[in-house]
Amino acid sequence: MPRYGMVIDLKRCYGCYACVMACKVKNYSPPGVFWARILKGERGSFPNTVRQALPVLCMHCENPSCQEVCPTGATQTLDNGIVIVEKDKCMGCGACIMACPYGARYSVEEWESYFPEGLELSPYEEFAKKAWEEKRGIGVATKCDFCRDRLDTDSEPACVEACPANARTFGDMDDPESEVSILIRRHRGSVLNPELGNEPKVYYLEPR
Amino acid sequence: MDPKVEGQIQTEWRWLIAIYLFLGGVGGGAYTIAAINSFLGEALEPSTIVGLWISFPALIIGSLCLLADLGQPTKAVLAGMKPGTSWIARGFWIISIFMVVAMIHTWLALFGNAGESLLRIVAVVGVIFAVSTMGYTGILLGASKGITFWRSGAVPIVFVISAIVTGHFAIMMGLVLLNTPEALEALRPMAAEAAALVVLEVLAIVFFLQMASRHPDPRESVERLLSNKTFVIGYVLGGLVTPLVLMLLLYREMVGTDAGTILAMSGLGAALGLMGGLILRWGVLRFGALPTLNVAGFEFRRVARPKEPKPEIGLLPPQ
Repeated sequence: MPRYGMVIDLKRCYGCYACVMACKVKNYSPPGVFWARILKGERGSFPNTVRQALPVLCMHCENPSCQEVCPTGATQTLDNGIVIVEKDKCMGCGACIMACPYGARYSVEEWESYFPEGLELSPYEEFAKKAWEEKRGIGVATKCDFCRDRLDTDSEPACVEACPANARTFGDMDDPESEVSILIRRHRGSVLNPELGNEPKVYYLEPR
Repeated sequence: MDPKVEGQIQTEWRWLIAIYLFLGGVGGGAYTIAAINSFLGEALEPSTIVGLWISFPALIIGSLCLLADLGQPTKAVLAGMKPGTSWIARGFWIISIFMVVAMIHTWLALFGNAGESLLRIVAVVGVIFAVSTMGYTGILLGASKGITFWRSGAVPIVFVISAIVTGHFAIMMGLVLLNTPEALEALRPMAAEAAALVVLEVLAIVFFLQMASRHPDPRESVERLLSNKTFVIGYVLGGLVTPLVLMLLLYREMVGTDAGTILAMSGLGAALGLMGGLILRWGVLRFGALPTLNVAGFEFRRVARPKEPKPEIGLLPPQ
């Protein structure tokens, strides 16, 4: 059984938001929900400053704090390392949203339109709303699941496929010969806020 | 970190959770005081009876607030499934057992003919669960790794002390409403206890905010909390300073000793103290800032972006 993880090369990412849009289109997420998102950060002090884009998604941690606080057992780690929310077990208490230091979880009270007030949902939105309600649910915690339905058909997650700069690599972290393992080893991949002890399975390669 | 730009704060837990934490504290605090009185053989004192009367309804109403806040309230029965790791699940069991014990104690003390030894046993068991409930309301926040402001070990201390203070004020309010000669007699000594408890809460809150100010993310929470008018006026001035002054005036007999003055001062002080307890919890919840993310020497601060109103149909957004 593979143990999935992702490597994001910060040297390649220029913050184009293609991953954000691919995620939204694939998962029909409503306004305000960003399972894949981009943060902008900086380093140094004027005039020697560098600006950097940081793609953030669920880190599918080895020690997920969201799973620890979940009172119902709705948040689970699958054998392949993907952390999921079982919507039928989630009561929507929000504890996991508060426990995730990466802000990767969202709860939706209503699937609202992207368009101005007063307009009805467009046919695409109607479809998206129905798909969201059936698959993700209303009033429950939702998050990135590494597009696990695509993995069943040997496809990569939508954000990986959409990245025009090839900044994202997805694969089996238990296989020492996989591309993700090689990249992490060769470029000393690091994780976000390692001091928290969550042990994320999303690694970042330093920008030079 | 640019101090001019506000960081993002949590929006998931709002007023209903603040009320839940507040009423859990009031129930636990009022019961603890009543149970200690009962243990000391003062089972029929007005403050004991009022404390017992308050605790169970406070817990029930608080739990209903939690239920109303859930995204899927019909699945609330699943809340106790993972007590091994989840503080919400532990809280579910702690509060459920506490409610049953509080109900049994109230029934035995007021309507049953239970002996003193049985009441004492029930009181000891009840106090264990009451203190656990008060502590749980703080530990629940401390277990949230995503909000560094709440991670401080001082949060449960503040919440336990505030729970006892609000429980005490709730009993005083009950005595004011009872308005009997015995209740009136109990109010003055209770004012002295209330003043001492408020001083303890002031020390605890200063310690908590001082601890939180040591790191950048929780420091932002502290700064925003202390610059919020509702918190400063409602909690610091209204919920701590004013009740403290009123209780001291009442105890030192620096105002009239007629029944009307005692009732008015006690009622006002208790009401303000209770309001302060609620605003404290609201403020601590409201200003929980999300942590700054860092990797490879870069800091990525999540910046607050107020939700912009949707444009009206036919109008282009302003350039």
